[in-house]
Amino acid sequence: MAASSIELRGVEKEYRRDEFVVPVLSDLDLTVAEGEYLALMGPSGSGKTTLLNLVAGLDVATRGQVIVHGQDLGRLSESEITRWRANNVGFIFQTYNLIPVLTASENVELPLLLTNLSRKRRRENVATALRVVGLEGREHHYPRQLSGGQEQRVAIARAIVTDPYLLVADEPTGDLDRHTADEILELLEQLNREFQKTIVMVTHDPLAARRAGRVLHLDKGRLIDDVINESPISAAS
Amino acid sequence: MKYLTYILRNARRNPVRTGLTVASIAISMFLMMILTSFFAAMQEANSASKQYNRIIVMNANGFAGQVPIARVRQVEAMDGVVAATPFSWYGGKYQNQRVLFAQFAVDADKVFDTLDEYKLAPEQLAAFKAEKSAAVIGPKLAREYNLKIGDPMPLQGDIYPVDLKLNIRGIYESPRNTDQRMVLFHYDYLDDQLRQLGSTAGGSSSQTAAGNAGIVFVKCKDAATTANLCKKIDDEYRSTDFPTRTQTEEAFGQMFSEMMGGLKDIVYWIGCAVVVSLLFVSGNAMAMAMRERTTEVAVLKAIGFNRGLVLGIVLAEAVLVAGLGGVLGTLGSKALFDIVDISPFTGGFLPFFYVPWSVALAGLGVSLFLGFASGLVPAVLAANSSVINGLRKVV
Repeated sequence: MAASSIELRGVEKEYRRDEFVVPVLSDLDLTVAEGEYLALMGPSGSGKTTLLNLVAGLDVATRGQVIVHGQDLGRLSESEITRWRANNVGFIFQTYNLIPVLTASENVELPLLLTNLSRKRRRENVATALRVVGLEGREHHYPRQLSGGQEQRVAIARAIVTDPYLLVADEPTGDLDRHTADEILELLEQLNREFQKTIVMVTHDPLAARRAGRVLHLDKGRLIDDVINESPISAAS
Repeated sequence: MKYLTYILRNARRNPVRTGLTVASIAISMFLMMILTSFFAAMQEANSASKQYNRIIVMNANGFAGQVPIARVRQVEAMDGVVAATPFSWYGGKYQNQRVLFAQFAVDADKVFDTLDEYKLAPEQLAAFKAEKSAAVIGPKLAREYNLKIGDPMPLQGDIYPVDLKLNIRGIYESPRNTDQRMVLFHYDYLDDQLRQLGSTAGGSSSQTAAGNAGIVFVKCKDAATTANLCKKIDDEYRSTDFPTRTQTEEAFGQMFSEMMGGLKDIVYWIGCAVVVSLLFVSGNAMAMAMRERTTEVAVLKAIGFNRGLVLGIVLAEAVLVAGLGGVLGTLGSKALFDIVDISPFTGGFLPFFYVPWSVALAGLGVSLFLGFASGLVPAVLAANSSVINGLRKVV
């Protein structure tokens, strides 16, 4: 069995809204293996994005432990967890969230600015990331000059340019048509298969979920189903 | 430097808003430079005059009072005095226009020994001394009216009931912060005309004007002698019909500044009000810019930009925009007034005007402070913003 990449032990998450305490996740235990491709499904408000945020180190659990790659995230200070995210997590958002005033290559370079890499080395890494996502020749295009699918590819290049071992994707195909969505999903699958990236993806799309090796269903903050896709749909197949 | 591209692109993101913010700062700083330079340039000239070790004798009752011409020679004979010259304001018209430039009746033999920062070529000085109706003029005046050596320069009396038919015999050179639009001519020439008029008119008011040196410029041997000489001269004439008030040239200049009363304070407070209003303008622009980028800031923080970095990036953008306005306003005004001579447009009120480096750099400093102060609140808010809330719209 593969080593555990993500481990949640008795995790609870509550939000405070004025005088009300709103429970979002309740008594959640979960183990994700290294290199696993996990899809989180469930209705709106089920807690899947909150779970994604906890795993990505964007939020902290009210109770319980979130251990990612051996690191208990609850024990890290804000600056430590910011540095941890920079080194270990790549983010892919539904609406891409590229910086509109930067070109594709400059957007991809952003996470590398936080490293000590030389400019030359940063450019090399950016070129590699853009090649992996199939965007050679688009380096100097601004987001407005790219299609939705191409923007998402740039966002994926930005997510992988620092070579993180965990990719979190929140509805990465939510804004794309079927054909483009399939291309993006194939790319994620390729990153998982060829580069052994652990991927946690939130999706409402059952077809997207079928690409993952494992699908979790949440409802009202509880894990109600955990399905292993024995034969996930893949580009290869 | 790694983040410079991002900062520059952000500053250019909304060109209209950035342009308007830069323009409002630039225009305000430009006007501030004009207001503050007026006093600063005057102060700088006053301070610079210290090196020339000069004192000025005037009537104790002010400019309206007389200083008899005989006093010039008496003062010059005192220990510690190098040279002295009368400096009598003529205030005539030229080409039927009133008070466009300063016209002084002086002692041709002594004036360039007294005002030794004013230089005249030896042959021009000799020609000036040799002819009673000779005049020397400043280089700016020569350029402005296209005057050259040998040209006649008729002046019509306005204060005095006599006209002068002067001939230009020299064009002096002088430092930038001096009056380069003066006409200097023989005191004796004016005095003779006034005396002639007095005798023909049988004792009119012009008689009282004759023999009046106006004020007396005195060149002292060194700085140490100036204070003693001031006291000595005033003591000498205290019990006469024409008591004197003698002061250093610097104090004399200061007296002119004081004549403006609280104007300097008013300018100072106007400046403060301008700075505060600019703070609101640029602060509002930065706040709007950051509100529009809530999600972007959240993304930056998500991918690993820490609070300090976000704070620095926002502040740098604010300082860049305000600094650009400041550079345009302050250095622009300095360059403009270095190139364009506005003295002809001030009717002689400002013989020279420029923006001193000290004022321009202070203005630039104020602009950078404005950027920092206006960006501080949006920067702190951005640095402390919640990543989750910032991403909520899209996550």
